[in-house]
Amino acid sequence: MKRLYAVISLAVSIGFIPVFNHVGLSQTPPAPPTLNSNSAGAQSYAKNCAICHGEQREGILPGFPPLLDVNRKLTATQIESVIRTGKGRMPKFSQLSPEEVTALLRFLSADPVITGKAQDAANVADVGRPLFQRNCAFCHGRDAAGGETGPDLTRSKLVLTDTDGSKFADVVRNGRPEKKMPAFNFSNEEVHSLVTFIHAQTKSSRPGGRRGVDVSDLQTGNVEAGKRYFNGDGGCAKCHSASGDLAGVASRFQGLQLEQQMLYPRNAKKKVTVTLPGGQSMTGVLAYHDEFTLGLRGADGVYHSWPVTRIHYTIDSPVDAHVELFGKYTDDDIHDLMAYMQTLR
Amino acid sequence: MKCWKRFLTFAIFAMLRGFSSLLLAQNLELSAITHPAPDSWPTYHGDYSGQRHSHLTEINPQNVASLTLAWAFQTNQNAPIKSTPLLVDGILYFTVSDNIWAVDARSGHVLWHYNKPTDDGLHIGHRGVAMYKGWLYYLTPNSHLISLNAKDGSVRWDVVVADVKKGYWTTMAPLVVRNHVIIGVSGDFDNLAGYLRSVDPETGSTQWQWDSTPPVGTPNSTTGGMTWMTGTFDPELNLLYWGTGNPTPVLNGKPRPGDNLYTCSIVALNPDTGKLVWGFSASPHDTHDWDAVETPVLVDGDFHGKPRKMLMQASRNGYFFVLDRTNGKSLLTATFGPVNWSLGVDKEGHPIPNPAKEPAPDGRLIAPDEGGMTNYRAPSFDPKTGLFIVDAHPSYSLYFAKPADGNYGWAGADYGLWGKGVIEAIDYKTGKLRWTHEVGDGGSGAGVLTTDSGLTFTGDSQGSVLALSTSSGKTLWHAGMGAPMVSSPIAYELDGRQYLMTSSGGVLFAWTLPLTNHQGASAR
Repeated sequence: MKRLYAVISLAVSIGFIPVFNHVGLSQTPPAPPTLNSNSAGAQSYAKNCAICHGEQREGILPGFPPLLDVNRKLTATQIESVIRTGKGRMPKFSQLSPEEVTALLRFLSADPVITGKAQDAANVADVGRPLFQRNCAFCHGRDAAGGETGPDLTRSKLVLTDTDGSKFADVVRNGRPEKKMPAFNFSNEEVHSLVTFIHAQTKSSRPGGRRGVDVSDLQTGNVEAGKRYFNGDGGCAKCHSASGDLAGVASRFQGLQLEQQMLYPRNAKKKVTVTLPGGQSMTGVLAYHDEFTLGLRGADGVYHSWPVTRIHYTIDSPVDAHVELFGKYTDDDIHDLMAYMQTLR
Repeated sequence: MKCWKRFLTFAIFAMLRGFSSLLLAQNLELSAITHPAPDSWPTYHGDYSGQRHSHLTEINPQNVASLTLAWAFQTNQNAPIKSTPLLVDGILYFTVSDNIWAVDARSGHVLWHYNKPTDDGLHIGHRGVAMYKGWLYYLTPNSHLISLNAKDGSVRWDVVVADVKKGYWTTMAPLVVRNHVIIGVSGDFDNLAGYLRSVDPETGSTQWQWDSTPPVGTPNSTTGGMTWMTGTFDPELNLLYWGTGNPTPVLNGKPRPGDNLYTCSIVALNPDTGKLVWGFSASPHDTHDWDAVETPVLVDGDFHGKPRKMLMQASRNGYFFVLDRTNGKSLLTATFGPVNWSLGVDKEGHPIPNPAKEPAPDGRLIAPDEGGMTNYRAPSFDPKTGLFIVDAHPSYSLYFAKPADGNYGWAGADYGLWGKGVIEAIDYKTGKLRWTHEVGDGGSGAGVLTTDSGLTFTGDSQGSVLALSTSSGKTLWHAGMGAPMVSSPIAYELDGRQYLMTSSGGVLFAWTLPLTNHQGASAR
């Protein structure tokens, strides 16, 4: 009884007891309808759980833990067992019907819908800030304008044009292994808060960030000298042609992106020919290669792999010519070549 | 009778475990730090020399191909393990940011887990804890030093060692030297002075502080010189050796003319007073973020016919240095991969930065890239072959800086273009590469461990742990771990068996020989 009293008095003091909310809510705009606010699970939650775990599952710390993401910490069976038998100071809810528990579990495993004040962009950005500082700031800078190794996100085309955050979410969840960006397992709301935080940074300017490279920064070269280098010392013309594969390249890429592609095209395909133990051979795009295993993807899209000790293989990697050039370029060569590339619209 | 039986069981158990463990359970004395037993890894580098060379020989080139998994431990964290575990009395202590685990080294099961999320400070990684007597020392992302009881992870005290609001954070594993807990700081996103601090192991109070640079605001002077990697110690010379990080502003060198001492330097300090005894600038006037914090490896040996007390560092800027560690004088300076930013080396062995290769508005092609020719993952020195084995990263990048980028913090931008990973065996007397072993595009990021049996353990960029022949660099064993190793391997002996410990992503792996091999070995 004493315990129950404590729960109620705590709940009252924080303003979470439903009866008080009815009064209090008249001051604030009504919460927008949520996806599942009328579901059986949501109703059961409101009736049984919200008094301790908060209306938005945010918990009432330190006494009552949040249930956001509880489905990532506990399995459905474990959650059900806690509901049925109680845990610590939490009473058991043995009176709930199996249908109600199922509904409750479904509700608890769904992402919460952010309501009321938290939908305000500034607040969402505030949620995103610590998440960004913990996970992203070292590479992308505290203000998202670039840090060690990571680009300026406030200028990122992807971030700026991605209004619903779906492309951004893709990159965050899958990482960019080729650029050493790890994948992060964030919820929809966390991703949303990160995007909002980054968008908020484009409007603020703080000292200490790198501000990236503008197209106008990359106009110091000489077109004619660049063309000579392309056809002469650089050896570019051995593989490339201004009227062939590079026609219109300056329309496809601009500025720094064009320069990076020029110096080392990422994701350039390597061709591999494999001779199998039986003597037959296979050709395709190199899909995986380490000291022990080689994988190729054939024209039909099918992946094959072998231990390298069981096959003979040759890899045709034209992009290696770019690596050889690194040791030969002067900075002027690069700027001249860049000037020439920018004429190939 | 029952009593006797229990006593006997206990005594046999104790003998099996080794007597020292019984007497010193969860209690690490100074002598055990200075002279680590084979069944321990009591400091970040395993011992004060930083050689990361194990004297264990049970796993050897002949039997390494049968190495097998003893157990794996899942941290269930997104962040990869970057720390080196400590092993004391059969218990491993290791970290990722905001987390410490104490794990039974025999079975991989958790004894306790400290888990305290912090919002402030960068969570770029965590290198591990230090231990002295029964206490652990742990630096938090928000720059607290916490002392915990090694038995249960309970906090004894918690002191602030840097101001996170100014832009400091901490990731490093402290180093215990007698009654000093030596800690370093990170923070090159702001113009801040780096420092090394000695803290009382009992109380957490500051004993001394050495500043890398003049105070913030000194005209025409640099800031920076963060001390974010664990150094080494020579008990005979009573000198502490530490690397310092880049100057700030990072990419814009104009506001800070000169060599910018002691940023990007190797320094020798008196551990009792914090007074500088000598300093060596590895990257004078750095403008490329090339911290010289890589392990200052201490080696006693012959150098061109003369016995020397040496210090060796494979530095992030692409240079391999051999110094006389009694006085900081250069014995050898040589590149260990493509380097295009210098005009050569001066009489004292310092690289001479080429002003034309400072970051510029229209970009400069720079080798190596910002991550550098090597980074925080440890190299290893093999005394038998005289090889310094390092995870190298030949690479190229573009560096930009323009007036609009200002003179605070990063003050520019840089972009990696290309890089690959190569395990390199450097002959310390000549700086020449005895062998190289490619470990894949991008770079591997794995540290290196050598053993007395002639094995070199490291990893490749695809996620395999590798055992190489130290003399030839040839692969003798490998196993896919699922993600590249971004920590440095260790080895130890437990119950008479040798273990190799590696990590991959958030998983720790303990490798050992199959029991049959082991029985053969113990019968010898």
